[in-house]
Amino acid sequence: MNFAMALDYQSCIDCKACEVACKEENGVQLGADKQRIWVTQSEKSIFGEPFVALHPSQCNHCQDAPCVDVCPTGSSYFALGGIVMANKDTCILCKGCMEACPYDARFVDDTHVAVDKCTFCYDTRIVNGEMTTACQATCPTKVRLFGDLDDEEGELIQMLNKRKFYVLKEEEGTVPKLFYMLPEHDKNYAMNSVNPDTNIYTWDEFKPIIEMAKEKRKPRWQTMQE
Amino acid sequence: MANHAGIEINSVNLKNLLMSKTMYIAYGLLLFALVGVIDVFYERYFLLSATAFDAGLAPGSRDVAEAMKEAVFGTGGEVKREAPWSLYIVNYMYMIYVGSGIIFLVAFAELLDIKLIKKTAAGFLTLGLAMIIAGLFTIMMDLNILHLHQMFLSPRFTSGMWLMMPLYMVYIPLVMFEIYLILAHKDSWVKKIAVLILILSLLVEFVEFYVQAKLFDMNSARHLWTTYPFLTLYFMVSSFVSSAAVMMLYTYLTYRNTDRSKCRDLMSLIQKVTLYSVIALGAYEATAYLFIDKKWAEIILFGDFKFYFYAYLAMAVGIPFALLFKDLPHNGYKILASVFIIVGTYLGKMIFVYGGNAYPMSDRFGVGFEKYTEYEPIKEVIFFMPPVGEIAIVVGSLGIIVLLYKVTDAFLSVSKMREH
Repeated sequence: MNFAMALDYQSCIDCKACEVACKEENGVQLGADKQRIWVTQSEKSIFGEPFVALHPSQCNHCQDAPCVDVCPTGSSYFALGGIVMANKDTCILCKGCMEACPYDARFVDDTHVAVDKCTFCYDTRIVNGEMTTACQATCPTKVRLFGDLDDEEGELIQMLNKRKFYVLKEEEGTVPKLFYMLPEHDKNYAMNSVNPDTNIYTWDEFKPIIEMAKEKRKPRWQTMQE
Repeated sequence: MANHAGIEINSVNLKNLLMSKTMYIAYGLLLFALVGVIDVFYERYFLLSATAFDAGLAPGSRDVAEAMKEAVFGTGGEVKREAPWSLYIVNYMYMIYVGSGIIFLVAFAELLDIKLIKKTAAGFLTLGLAMIIAGLFTIMMDLNILHLHQMFLSPRFTSGMWLMMPLYMVYIPLVMFEIYLILAHKDSWVKKIAVLILILSLLVEFVEFYVQAKLFDMNSARHLWTTYPFLTLYFMVSSFVSSAAVMMLYTYLTYRNTDRSKCRDLMSLIQKVTLYSVIALGAYEATAYLFIDKKWAEIILFGDFKFYFYAYLAMAVGIPFALLFKDLPHNGYKILASVFIIVGTYLGKMIFVYGGNAYPMSDRFGVGFEKYTEYEPIKEVIFFMPPVGEIAIVVGSLGIIVLLYKVTDAFLSVSKMREH
């Protein structure tokens, strides 16, 4: 198993249902700055007309995650299927992982005095064998699709086979596993919400990159029993 | 005076020691530390913060209502997501590097058999060690103190922090042993071992600066740090500048009344070291920004950080160079240069740490900067003023230096010039 997520971000309406569902399901600390997942807004002006790009985001569960390497206590680790986890009981709050994360996906949970982040609902769903996340389940416009990259018949791979996508900050070499689906049928939206320097991939092109990083990191993935 | 294991220990009137002028300064500074520690503990462990479960578990609770209000309208907790490392790290870096720099320079001078430094080495080393301990105090307050035992219960030895841990375990006792060797100068066998210890301590110094650089270099997202050319070299050079300035100021404060001619000679010697270090730092800064990630270089050289950066260059390089270029007979120029360097290089460390965080990670999509919260405008540069508790701890760390040095000096007379 190798868990990942595709985001059809063009469908996002910034209703924040995903943020609420995440907080509710995982007992995340309250506060606007305390988010495991969030929707970012990048504002632009095109010929005097305002344009706002909405990008739902969260931890990229990088295949080659730098946050895991810098952690001095093993609090950041790879769980089942390469999900990047943060154990609050062993976190000493050195904040190295927050510095190392290129996506600013981590924050301090003041209730535990420890770093917190998205877990793809590992504790509440994955360990129970479920294959959805709270954010996916609650989204009214079906932006998110969680799945297993090793399951060729699964919905996620079917979608990645059908549509082109890109990943964030590819130059960091972290091999992120949030796949942003290139907007279809709306060139204008695609033009304004994707950086022109960003590489656009098909699954056949990206799969070897994922496989290579998985090969490197898989020995450190924990199994369900651990 | 008593003699224990080859060291002369002064019999000290505790009342006189505790009520001395220097100790009053230490108490004043330590009071800041105490206020800071209380503030940090309150903020970290006693302030109410609510989770999404709380409202459901305790509906109608006044405490939950307060915590929810704080969550929405409060300052957003002690640590900001977009700028996790702040003044604590600045002070830790400064204290550790300058302390290590002093120890390095003294060890090196001892190997070169520079008599004046050998005479005063015990005092310099004690000062360096006190600065390192002050740095460790600062970093300890930055961490979740109640979880620190997890470093040993659940260690990951390949991380940057763990590389530092065994080093400190060797380094601090080694320096203490070195001080002991200097104080116990009557034993001839000790002198033979001293050379070995000095070579070992120089080696540990090199490793320490390398590991410190590695700690920053592992944060692959912050390109200001990862693109600094020869980060180890930068840390060493910038440390030597501040260390030499601290040594010059210390020399003046300690020996100005007791031994004027030697004080003048020592200051002249340190003036040369400072001048060469300043030139090296200037040369490094003049070329480093050719290699640094252009996003960061732009905001530091021409953007929001430019005033701080040029103030740093003026205070740490330009003005001291002008003041120290000629060995003028009046000590006032050297003192002025030292103060400029000490303040300037601290500012330099602030630019290094805050600058690393400054260019927001929030432009993750490359189409413009994102809003971090609903209640803030979009920002291109991240900068937060450190909280009061953090500032108080940093000021208080100076009290640790004064206290440790004064007490050690009272019992062991480390500041006394020794004949070899």
